[in-house]
Amino acid sequence: MLVALLMCYAGFTALCLSTDRHHGELLHSKPSPRRRLGLRAAGWLLLTVSIWPAVVIAGWGQGLVQWCAVLMLSALLLVLLLPYRPRLAMNLAGIGLLACPVAAVATL
Amino acid sequence: MKSKTSLPVSYRLAVTSRVLAAVVGGYLMASLASICLALWLPTSRADAVIVGMMSSFVFYLLAVLWCFACRTAGRAWLGVMAPCVLFATLAGVGWWVARP
Amino acid sequence: MKEGFRQAMAWLHTWVGLIFGWLLFAIFLTGTLSYFKDEITHWMQPEVQVHGVDDARSLAVAQAYLERQAPTAARWFITLPDSRDPGLSVMWQDKVDPGKRGNFIQKVLDPVSGQPVQVRESMGGEFFYRFHFQLQMPHPWGRWLSTFAAMVMFVALITGIITHKKIFKDFFTFRPRKGQRSWLDGHNAVGVLVLPFHLMITYSSLVIFMSMVMPAPIVASYGDDTRAFFSEVFPATDNAPALGQPGKLLPLGPMYAQARQQWAGGHVGRVAVNNPGDVNASVNVFRAGSDSVVHDFGSIVSFNGTTGEQVRVSGEPSLPAVIGGSFYGLHMGHFAGPVLRWLYFICGLAGTAMIGSGLVIWLGKRQLKHVKSGVMPFELKLVEVLNIASMSGLMIAIAAFFWANRLLPVSVAERSAWEVQVFFIAWGLSLLHAMLRRGRQGWVEQLSVGALLFVAVPLLNAITTSEHLGVSLARGDWAMAGFDLTCLGSGVFLAWAAWKMQRRAALPSKAEGVPSLKLKPEAH
Repeated sequence: MLVALLMCYAGFTALCLSTDRHHGELLHSKPSPRRRLGLRAAGWLLLTVSIWPAVVIAGWGQGLVQWCAVLMLSALLLVLLLPYRPRLAMNLAGIGLLACPVAAVATL
Repeated sequence: MKSKTSLPVSYRLAVTSRVLAAVVGGYLMASLASICLALWLPTSRADAVIVGMMSSFVFYLLAVLWCFACRTAGRAWLGVMAPCVLFATLAGVGWWVARP
Repeated sequence: MKEGFRQAMAWLHTWVGLIFGWLLFAIFLTGTLSYFKDEITHWMQPEVQVHGVDDARSLAVAQAYLERQAPTAARWFITLPDSRDPGLSVMWQDKVDPGKRGNFIQKVLDPVSGQPVQVRESMGGEFFYRFHFQLQMPHPWGRWLSTFAAMVMFVALITGIITHKKIFKDFFTFRPRKGQRSWLDGHNAVGVLVLPFHLMITYSSLVIFMSMVMPAPIVASYGDDTRAFFSEVFPATDNAPALGQPGKLLPLGPMYAQARQQWAGGHVGRVAVNNPGDVNASVNVFRAGSDSVVHDFGSIVSFNGTTGEQVRVSGEPSLPAVIGGSFYGLHMGHFAGPVLRWLYFICGLAGTAMIGSGLVIWLGKRQLKHVKSGVMPFELKLVEVLNIASMSGLMIAIAAFFWANRLLPVSVAERSAWEVQVFFIAWGLSLLHAMLRRGRQGWVEQLSVGALLFVAVPLLNAITTSEHLGVSLARGDWAMAGFDLTCLGSGVFLAWAAWKMQRRAALPSKAEGVPSLKLKPEAH
């Protein structure tokens, strides 16, 4: 579940950044259309691909349930963190993404 | 919603009417729809009944939403009773067809 | 409703949310607690120790006990210990005249000695579990009400989605420290972000009781023989009737082993024996719910009790049965390991918070209109009292339930009933308090009392038992330690909430006066 969590969190952060409002809040600039597209694509990709680490360990039944749970939790975490510690929220996504291979080796 | 003067009685009656249409009429419609499914689905008897029961709540939801989305209380009743008649007819046919 | 579809849905959402919100809050909170009901029971009955006894031994011990104590019972149930529930529990139902329901008697046995554990009589976590769908009402009214409430919840969820115009735009939006706006953002956040869970839990609760609330297709399809439907779908209920002649029940061990073999190593949840003393005794071995997400009502291995022969081979469930079983399994969460179980718990709390914040918003919006006059109309006063009593009052009642468990003497008659009484007395008192000390005072005082009661639970545990945090953490008894720590955390949360409420009361110029212009007039 850890790898899926890290990927989902990073994915949601990317999707969040792809919106004008939040990009403005966090990076103090308007995202260019290319960047917006890139962030959106990255976000959706991360969310979809995160199904794989969940299912590969626990099978389709348990795996999908775990993925759903991790999806919801990561979104909740991001949204609650964002207004209080925006820097941390973003950095966690970056760190999480970097930690993915490590976590994958450890758990898969 | 509350203003200085109380809401007119006609309004309250209309709301009550819609609520009845939704709760009672909706339940009737959901039941009849589920009976239709149970009698018409080509699966085994038990499976058809299970599908009927599981999907009944969606019909109930649709009935409730209709009762409050439509323009008058009269339309609420119409919009619920008409499908009831339809489902009842289909169910009747289904029951008659399935008789040994 | 001439205003338009969205407006009408907003109106519906607001009103069903209010009227059923108080009940749904209670259902959601107690239901959420139920995900840890085994752990709660473990804390409330600390006398039950974990034993490393294998299943075969436990089964033999249980059978011997039941043969001595309840040879003429209508049914026996044996629940073997597992990782979350260390107790070997046996239950039997008295044989009474046909058509009547016999009483159920339950005991927890020590698998080493074969005797009942001297455990304080308590419902434990089962109380919250049963309450959340039976609502302490006589059978079957509670179930009807809770299922009706579930249908209302379904309507509230869907109308909420329809009403939330900016569901994608505002997906990540949460703006704290802005009064009513923050409450609405919060309500939307816990609603939308956890929506898959809310939809699943609500619809599955309808499916769980669908045979009771939507019997029409059963009757239409099976006519007089509705029993045939239940026998087909729930083979555990299709048992041979008693013949009235005495028979000797064979040892259950080999049947247990054979069942496990059928399931290629799957685990046994329960063993039920019907008409144990009769020649037509039957044994049903139920598979553990923790084995799979999809609850398979057919995965039972049945035996003839006196000959030991396997009577029924459970076939592969059909797709509709798998779907129904999925709803059931997902709702119960038996398959969830510790991490996933905590996630279930968090999602449940999110649902509870969604309902609670909705109730607060409903009142807050309308209170703004009466700030100038300072006098609230009766209806709003009523809502305020019910809000306080149903939320902080319920939390006080839960804490009181735990306090009663530790403070009531072990030998008191009807002890477990008394624990439940304390729960309802505390809830009733909080309702009274809310009526007398309305408004912020009521909130602050009740949240403070709740905070105090919860924070003191670990201390209470340390004083009244030998299972305090020091011991439980050292021993790795995570259920016991987790309970104490969660109570502590809950108490801290309630204290913070009380503090925030108190601060708001001290600065009346803030928040209250914030123009409601920020809020779109989405609902009347």
